Amino acid sequence: MSWSKNISINTWRCGRLMSMYPQHYVDPIYKMEDQCSKRTELLRLSHIPIKGALNNSSDTIFNGEIKQKMVNYITKNGEGFLSRKLMAQTLEMIKRTQLEGSYISPGYNKTETDAESLLIQAVENCRPLLQLSSIKRGGVKYHVPIPLTNKKSYFLAMKWLLDASREKDRKVSLPEKLAWEILDAAHGHGRVIKKKEELSRQCESNRAYAHYRWS
Amino acid sequence: MALRVFGLNLVKTNRSVLQNVCKTGATPTQQTVAPYATEVTVQASPAAVQKQKVSKAMKAYLKRANEHDEFMKTQHLEFQIGKRHLANMMGADPETFTQQDIDEAIEYLFPSGLFDKKARPAMKSPDEVFPARKAAEFDETGRPFHSMFYTGNPNFFQLLHDIVQETNKIHELEERLLRRGNTPDENQKLDTTGFQLMPKDQLELLLVESIADIEYSNFVNSMERLIALPYAYKSKEFIERFLKPLMDQSKQLEIPKPRIDEQGRQYITTYECLRKTARADVTVRMPGTGKISINGQDIFYFPEEKCREQLLFPLQFSQMLGKVDIEANVEGGGPSGQSGAIRWGIAMSLRSFVDQEMIESMRLAGLLTRDYRIRERKKFGQEGARRKYTWKKR
Amino acid sequence: MFRRQVASLSRLQHLQMSTNAAPAPTSTSASSGEAISEFRTAVTNPGEHSSLHVAKFYTIPVEQKKKIFGGGGLPKQYEQQIKTFQEACLMVRSPALELLHYIQNADLSKPAVRYVVYGANGVGKTLTMAHVLHYGSLNDFMLVHVPWVPNWMKRPKEAANSSTQEGFIDLPFDAAAWLVHFKTQNLKLLQQLDLKTSKEYVWSKRESTPAGSTLLELVEHGIARIKYASETTAALISEIKQLSNAGKCKTMVVIDGFNAFFHPETRIFSENKQRVTPDRITLTQPFLDITSYDWTNGICILSVDKIAMTEGYMASHMPRYLLGKEGFEHLDPFIPVHVENYTEKEFYNYISYYLDRRWINKTPPGFEEQLKFMSNKNPYELMQLVKSL
Repeated sequence: MSWSKNISINTWRCGRLMSMYPQHYVDPIYKMEDQCSKRTELLRLSHIPIKGALNNSSDTIFNGEIKQKMVNYITKNGEGFLSRKLMAQTLEMIKRTQLEGSYISPGYNKTETDAESLLIQAVENCRPLLQLSSIKRGGVKYHVPIPLTNKKSYFLAMKWLLDASREKDRKVSLPEKLAWEILDAAHGHGRVIKKKEELSRQCESNRAYAHYRWS
Repeated sequence: MALRVFGLNLVKTNRSVLQNVCKTGATPTQQTVAPYATEVTVQASPAAVQKQKVSKAMKAYLKRANEHDEFMKTQHLEFQIGKRHLANMMGADPETFTQQDIDEAIEYLFPSGLFDKKARPAMKSPDEVFPARKAAEFDETGRPFHSMFYTGNPNFFQLLHDIVQETNKIHELEERLLRRGNTPDENQKLDTTGFQLMPKDQLELLLVESIADIEYSNFVNSMERLIALPYAYKSKEFIERFLKPLMDQSKQLEIPKPRIDEQGRQYITTYECLRKTARADVTVRMPGTGKISINGQDIFYFPEEKCREQLLFPLQFSQMLGKVDIEANVEGGGPSGQSGAIRWGIAMSLRSFVDQEMIESMRLAGLLTRDYRIRERKKFGQEGARRKYTWKKR
Repeated sequence: MFRRQVASLSRLQHLQMSTNAAPAPTSTSASSGEAISEFRTAVTNPGEHSSLHVAKFYTIPVEQKKKIFGGGGLPKQYEQQIKTFQEACLMVRSPALELLHYIQNADLSKPAVRYVVYGANGVGKTLTMAHVLHYGSLNDFMLVHVPWVPNWMKRPKEAANSSTQEGFIDLPFDAAAWLVHFKTQNLKLLQQLDLKTSKEYVWSKRESTPAGSTLLELVEHGIARIKYASETTAALISEIKQLSNAGKCKTMVVIDGFNAFFHPETRIFSENKQRVTPDRITLTQPFLDITSYDWTNGICILSVDKIAMTEGYMASHMPRYLLGKEGFEHLDPFIPVHVENYTEKEFYNYISYYLDRRWINKTPPGFEEQLKFMSNKNPYELMQLVKSL
């Protein structure tokens, strides 16, 4: 119902509200295309207040959803500007390795040079479907495969990519290593893909315990 | 029915008081809209009730009612005197002195620096200050009128019953029509976009009863069930009593008209663009070439790409890139806050140069919302805003 | 499972790509030889560039690039770009054309003219000078080229006390590196022309370079005996000046970051742990000598740069501020050449060059405008922005 969210304005709040915005505020839709594609839904939104746009997202060529998330995961100690720079360097590195030698080679137009789409491809390739969680039944711990939500699986994919690239010599810079990991994953091999496949194999072998999830 | 009579008596005896009430316009709307209130919301003094067998409860009630009536009378009198005094002090005509004039006079005569508006001095009609009370809900022998008297909230539960009754009626109707092979009329379908269910405090006023959160949510649920029915339009009148129209969010703020500068260009200046601790004022000039100056510098006032992207966002989104010139003065805060402040200023100013649809789009993109999130303070006994110190047993 | 299949599918696609790639026709690389895009020009000789070629790209042949810019002269990031794009392309821009016009019409028999290139950060001062340098190299100028003076003042490889001049500091490794650079740039000229030293240089009791030996020998001595590299440099430059005066050769002096010679202090420490001023460095004097006006058959192209200074001295990019009183008087009178941000045409040509090289992959309508707004048409910033697209 259209007002079901609105009702709670001045009535009651479920739990503690940490956000500065009241609960009935809705997240903004940044991209013009997205807005165009869901016209009908927007009619409903015309009466609902919207949260302010975050300062790391915009509808420009410099912004991408996965890229933005990745930048957030790279960030340490609130140094967002630095992590953005690192991400830019990573993409540059990917583009350079893809481009180098491709001008004279016969497959000039074939190699993928869009670093961001390579990144997205890599993350999609690394996404796990199931996860093992240990559940105690009758004093024995079982590793039970449970399905992951979309958000969580994206998080895991990006985290694995980052973890893999943080394991390196001191001399190698993070963008360099990350670029290699992303390129590997985008082409369907490399450490992260192996890790994902390892996990899905374990889930497969533990599938006998799957019913412990609800019983 | 006894109550009805009772009320009529009251109207006869206390006509003058009622007229007063109507004049001040305290609660006339409630009385017309909601049947619950007419039945019960009366400052009563049932002088006509003079029978022998009067229960103790009724006696006590009559005493209380009389006292309250007297009290309200004196309050009204005092209010009238106070109003006259105020009018004289302000040099206005006491007869035409309205509530708005009173508020202005009070604000002028008793300036207050208190933050909370409720804590500031005020003078209002006693009908507003003292909430309406219920009239007697039982007869002289002490027998309640309402079958749900002992629930404590008879009006509320009556309302729930009414809703269910309506629902059942519609169900029956649907069944009957279905048997005849009729389907609900799509054109008459009840469209509730742009409407909101009555909020809890208003419902409480209407019912003259205080209800709990969970009871309110019960009300909401049953109302929603009713509205979701395919034949809900049959009981449109009943539903509309509990709906409130919502304002169109993007039309709420008035869009300023552009002014003309000495070169004949339109311009808009938005002052007080705030974000975090930064404060900016932004001027947007309409036929322009895309120039931007921030504190007299070009866009490299912000060496960070992220900040420049923020400035680009509203311009790109509204497709005004290269069509306007921008001047901004900004102070306080860091680069992120400053660019956020300017972004908001640009977006707000651009409203004057784009059509309504684009304004709505910009609102949906969150460009027109003032982002008032700020740094959360550190708490004592904690390491930061939320983080606790590492726990150590001893 | 489904996603896994997709992943394996995509892997397959990649495989197919690589297999399909082999028979595919080499369309672009083939066409680049014949049909020249709008933003390119086939004229590779900077001497022939005119206002017709403004905002167009010309390619520096690989061997020439290696010869002229082998020891520096192009910004590091530009070098990287050249490496990625596999071609050394320079845009013909109006400041360089202005300089070339001056040089072509200059009367070399008159005292040397000084040109000072200035401009804000990242507008292309160094690349303008690279363009002129290319011209000089093709037109038989003896090149005295210092890629970036602050390298000597800010991060020298080694500093040693001078053996000949009391209280002075030698930068032997940097001087030797410069000699190598000089040699690679001018090897052909040094072999062709009959350039002899005018007097005997005595380095030590045993070593000396007799009068009448060729300049090449002098340079090679400096490279071989790094200890004397600084003095060799001084000797070489005074010889070049004399030879030019005598009309045996014509000389082009190109010094980037010239204002570093007049900076109040350097990062080099002397014996008593105090910062040395640039004039106490043995390399300074010869280069100041060759930029004075008391010689003929020469051209001096100098650039003043904000980032050649250190913190606290970077308020303005104007020559008077950057050179200080002393430096300004040393150069006065000079011809200022202002380098500015891209013009509209240059900007769009650069974008189409990047698109041609497949460096920009995001091309929704209006992306140029976005780039223009974000970079303010500043070349360096544009390069930075485009990197991650």
